[in-house]
Amino acid sequence: MHFKIRPAKKEDCKEISRLIMELAVYENMPDQVKIAHEELERDGFGENPFFQCLVAEVPEEHKSKEGFTVVGYALYFYTYSTWKGRSIFLEDLYVMPEFRGNGIGKGLLCKVAEVGKKKECVRLQLSVLDWNTPSRDFYAAKGAQDLTVSEGWHAIRFDGPSLDNLAKEAAKI
Amino acid sequence: MDFSIRAANVEDCKDIARMIVVSRHVRTYLEQDGFSKNPFFHGIIAEVPEQLRTKDGHTKVGYALYFYSYSSWAGRAIYMEDLYVMPEFRGKGIGKALMSKVAQLGLAAGCNQLNFTVLDWNKSSRDFYMSQGCCDVTTSMGYHCMRCEGEALQHLAQP
Repeated sequence: MHFKIRPAKKEDCKEISRLIMELAVYENMPDQVKIAHEELERDGFGENPFFQCLVAEVPEEHKSKEGFTVVGYALYFYTYSTWKGRSIFLEDLYVMPEFRGNGIGKGLLCKVAEVGKKKECVRLQLSVLDWNTPSRDFYAAKGAQDLTVSEGWHAIRFDGPSLDNLAKEAAKI
Repeated sequence: MDFSIRAANVEDCKDIARMIVVSRHVRTYLEQDGFSKNPFFHGIIAEVPEQLRTKDGHTKVGYALYFYSYSSWAGRAIYMEDLYVMPEFRGKGIGKALMSKVAQLGLAAGCNQLNFTVLDWNKSSRDFYMSQGCCDVTTSMGYHCMRCEGEALQHLAQP
């Protein structure tokens, strides 16, 4: 199947938002999605973007049954390791089910790695849910190591009231 | 204990590198990656007054390194890459103050999450973080941290 991978434009945010929701549904957490295309437009396409995005597009003649030509995306941002230096974090990688098996997911992943290489990034990191065997197998096949299993790393988060409470303490310094 | 917390500047890289315990070679990268036009990270430093300096004469006794990240579900986020206080200055609230400052900076920038990682065997750190009200999303939601580097990354990056 013919497809193209290109940097996302601001006008793509409605499509990206649609795909973000599809991914959240797949991960059984649609109620966790709190942002929409307006936040993506503001945060990804301003002067100091919080993220970058690539989209996978198919020609009109291959559009989805609902008429979509943007059929996949990869959302990423730059991070840093004080031991190793510049890194890239792949926040989301998703391809609509009817377009899988055509190399689009791999194409998106490789493109993110290529972008990272140009910026001299030495690591590409991401997180995956433990039950998501197809994704875990996909990444393992590309040479990714599971650091939670091999080294015991746990992802920790503060949000909502716990984040507010923590920040309040800073006022006392 | 009297201490202050402030934004790191390029002259602090020597002390940050000392606390990370890395070579002079890596210090150069800290300078260019953290203090040029599009920095990959930001830092805050914990400093004590001269009269409390270490026996080697250091007044910069802790740091936190962070950068802005993104959650496609929650929006703007802040990631704390490093949090460190020299052993002789621990137990005085400096670590908590550094982490609180990162949280405050994150909220000021419109962030909805503060994320970081900790090793499962690092009980003292885990206990410290849990006491502040955080959530272990690896345990509770099943997220695993994955990494591609070296040859595997080179291979992926080939056009």
